[in-house]
Amino acid sequence: MTTDRFTSQLSEYLDAGLPVDERQSLEAHLASCDRCRETLDELRAVVTRAKNLQDSAPVNDLWRGIHARIASGSITGRVSPFRRAITRRLSFTIPQVAAAGLALMILSGGLVWMARSGDPRADVPAIRAQEEPAVVPANFADKHYDAAIAELEQTLDAGRKSLDPETIRVLEENLAAIDRAIDQCRLALATDPANVYLNTHLADARQRKLLLLRRAAALATKGT
Amino acid sequence: MTDDVALAAAGDVSAFERVYQTHLPRVHSLVRRMTGGRDTDEVTQDVFVRVWQKLSTFRGDSAFSTWLHRLAVNVVIERFRSETLRRQRLRGGDDLFDTISAPVRSRDFAMDFETALDRLPDGAREVFVLHDVEGYKHHEIASRLDISAGTSKAQLHRARMMLRKHLGRKESDYDD
Repeated sequence: MTTDRFTSQLSEYLDAGLPVDERQSLEAHLASCDRCRETLDELRAVVTRAKNLQDSAPVNDLWRGIHARIASGSITGRVSPFRRAITRRLSFTIPQVAAAGLALMILSGGLVWMARSGDPRADVPAIRAQEEPAVVPANFADKHYDAAIAELEQTLDAGRKSLDPETIRVLEENLAAIDRAIDQCRLALATDPANVYLNTHLADARQRKLLLLRRAAALATKGT
Repeated sequence: MTDDVALAAAGDVSAFERVYQTHLPRVHSLVRRMTGGRDTDEVTQDVFVRVWQKLSTFRGDSAFSTWLHRLAVNVVIERFRSETLRRQRLRGGDDLFDTISAPVRSRDFAMDFETALDRLPDGAREVFVLHDVEGYKHHEIASRLDISAGTSKAQLHRARMMLRKHLGRKESDYDD
């Protein structure tokens, strides 16, 4: 048996997963092979380290987004009790109030415009808010969605110089990943258009892109 | 079942926020390790939204933390895996790991280790995290990732060997 063959058994040996005869054979080899013993020690150190990793909380506040999503009414089964609870817990910071006010202005303006023009579409998304109006469901009708994305991308481009290179790099990586997910969903939906999972996943990916661009645009705008 | 979990299961959002705060570091770290740091915050949010949805099904047969972590693993797997992509990842990835720069000697061994873990090929990293960090058995990993137990063992060994190779020295060498 070669050293490589023994090496490939070391993990199972560490996990006490080798049959008795193979274990005995390996142990006989270890007694005479410095290299394999060293490798075994290193693998043991890796396993020990893995068992002692420290957990850490995220830098960002994730609760707000979770709160918004479970309050949006898009989640089945738990909406009613949550809505009772949210009425007594909801509070806003000044920036949130300002953002909500801006969103309300945009929404109101849009509704007035639609009422005057007779346009029946009452679900145009607010695309220039500094922070997303979390409890307003996104609209994914392509025309409006694409327009919103285009406008946010323009805003982001205009304020791009105010962002540091690392932020831009992370942002571009995330956007590329989302775009790949969207493309994959669209391809899959071309052959299975009624697939609920794919449709849900596509909507989710598109929403993520919208939210990410909104945040980035808001950040870029702040920095200019 | 803790009081807060029971209250949250009944629809108390304040209690759910406390449950979230209690378990956030553990879940976020699990997600980060499994995903290699990709979209960690978003996936963590997905986990807690799913917890909110499913909490009424938690009957207390196991520890809540065990239930939560298994749910988190499921969310990660669903989020990032399709059959084809998973198989592709389980086949490849050595080159990706080999291209990263050698680690800088550091007192913070844990950070080095986490960084190296992030850079493992997806398949090897998933199995390593589930087995060596989370304590799953190979048959459980095989079932969840839809691979064979033999593949799970092979990926685990691959991950350990890569980590050992990348770290390049024993843990004790980092003790100043």
